[in-house]
Amino acid sequence: MESSELAPVKLSVSNLTKYFGDLEVLRDVSTNMRRGEFISIVGPSGCGKTTFLRIIGGLEQSDSGEARLDERKISGPGKDRGFVFQQDNLLPWRTVRSNTGIGPEINGEKGPEQHHRIERLLKLVGLGGFEEYYPRQLSGGMRQRVNLARALAVDPDLLLMDEPFSALDAQTREIMQTELMRIWEEGRKTVLFVTHQIDEAVYLSDRVLVFARRPGRIQEVVEIDLPRPRPLSLKRTPQFVAYVDHIWKLIEDDVRASVLEEHA
Amino acid sequence: MTTEAHPRAAKASVPATHRHKTQRHKKASGFWADHGWALTSVAIGLSIWEIISRFLIGNKLFLAAPSQVAVAFVELAGSGELQKHAWVSSLEFFWGYTSACILGVALGLVMASSKIAKQMLDPWVAGLYATPTVALAPLFILWFGIGIFSKIVVVALLVIFPVVINTEAGLRTTSPQLIETVRSFGANRRQIFLKVSLPSALPFIFAGFKLGIGRGLIGVVVAELFGARAGLGQMISQSAETFNMPALFAGVTLLAFAGIAMTSSFSWLERRLIPWRD
Ligand SMILES: Nc1ncnc2c1ncn2[C@@H]1O[C@H](COP(=O)(O)OP(=O)(O)OP(=O)(O)O)[C@@H](O)[C@H]1O
Ligand SMILES: [Mg+2]
Repeated sequence: MESSELAPVKLSVSNLTKYFGDLEVLRDVSTNMRRGEFISIVGPSGCGKTTFLRIIGGLEQSDSGEARLDERKISGPGKDRGFVFQQDNLLPWRTVRSNTGIGPEINGEKGPEQHHRIERLLKLVGLGGFEEYYPRQLSGGMRQRVNLARALAVDPDLLLMDEPFSALDAQTREIMQTELMRIWEEGRKTVLFVTHQIDEAVYLSDRVLVFARRPGRIQEVVEIDLPRPRPLSLKRTPQFVAYVDHIWKLIEDDVRASVLEEHA
Repeated sequence: MTTEAHPRAAKASVPATHRHKTQRHKKASGFWADHGWALTSVAIGLSIWEIISRFLIGNKLFLAAPSQVAVAFVELAGSGELQKHAWVSSLEFFWGYTSACILGVALGLVMASSKIAKQMLDPWVAGLYATPTVALAPLFILWFGIGIFSKIVVVALLVIFPVVINTEAGLRTTSPQLIETVRSFGANRRQIFLKVSLPSALPFIFAGFKLGIGRGLIGVVVAELFGARAGLGQMISQSAETFNMPALFAGVTLLAFAGIAMTSSFSWLERRLIPWRD
């Protein structure tokens, strides 16, 4: 898209390397993200996707290389980033409203405008009317919506999502994909999205980073040149299927190896 | 099956307030339905007791019938005797119990937040929790005198360990994922503690408080048995010496009711303070 090509660089990652003990988890990962871009990461299990996201989120330190957000070096968590975890990790003793507002609360932002913002966000993710519910009263899909709203509540520059829909059933998942697209079209946040599902990555993204494993590194960057907004029916077009096939071929051998390893 | 559908549609068909009501409705299905069998069982038990003591034993010195206990209860209350003893015991329990709860939570916090403190305190806590410390009651009476202070110490000693252990365990078992989540929003240590660890440990802490009630009551009575000027334990031991079984049972019954009343008010408080649990 024209606008994103002109947009300034939001996140720049250069030569990121990470070890866990002797295990080299990430080797020399470099990439740039422009403001408003939606980028997905796919790759076989254990290739370091989560680790990469956690480093960007400031939850993990890299061993060499660096990540910069708006020119500032990332050294810890911050309110310029919102993390959507795979498990919804909602605090069971807080209502939907209070869970959603925890980010601003931690940053000491209170008051009526915050209250209205949370209200608006919950409507945006389709949870208007459920503000006073406790997490145990919600379905999995609804909990993930709260998880998303909570990350959006800090109004982050960069939204980091680690397989946020993987715990959902197939139908709910597709609905969540379209909802995420709708929300993203409204705010145009910069999003870094990890998934195992290749079609999800293609459907959502401007670009897909295909990771290889042992050590984890970027194997190829696939530009997804499909018009937006994207209806679900797009998933059945030959173009779309060609993207999915292409990415699948890239990671097939790696995935096989990792599956065999897990069963060994 | 997907319960998800569309939340807006779900909201339209089942408004929030309505859902709450249906849930509450199911729970509160009437006093009789909830407690009917319990009451029946107590009534049968009391009848059997009455029959055995009246017709099989027939000796008040050996076993008092519930009706005789009730009479003794009324008499003791009428003379103000019962109130006097109950008041002394309540004071001992109250001070011992509250100080143990406060101290216990504090110690639990220290143990949960410092590895060294935990390692240093662990053997003492584990050892003293397992020891029947009531057996040391005579010693405390020797040290602190026959007044209420020695009893407060015994109660506190019995109550504090379950509170410490539960507080520490509750804080320690806080889900690391939840901690990480608030950390990702930039929470500092204090915020992590207040917003995650403490609320998540609350049910455990309450369980410790509840365990402490029974132990505290035992502490009061046993300490008083070993030497006291007043108190329900003292009243019980005196009744035993004079073979006044109805009075003995009246004291025991009062203690049992105190225990039940405190435990159930704690459960009530727990439901208030921990509404997110079923
Ligand atoms: N805290 C840790 N300590 C030691 N090793 C770790 C740690 N976290 C991750 N690893 C290892 O690093 C590698 C990459 O893990 P990571 O979770 O980043 O993979 P992933 O690509 O997200 O996998 P998945 O797709 O299964 O979620 C794995 O081999 C994992 O065992
Ligand atoms: Mg992962």
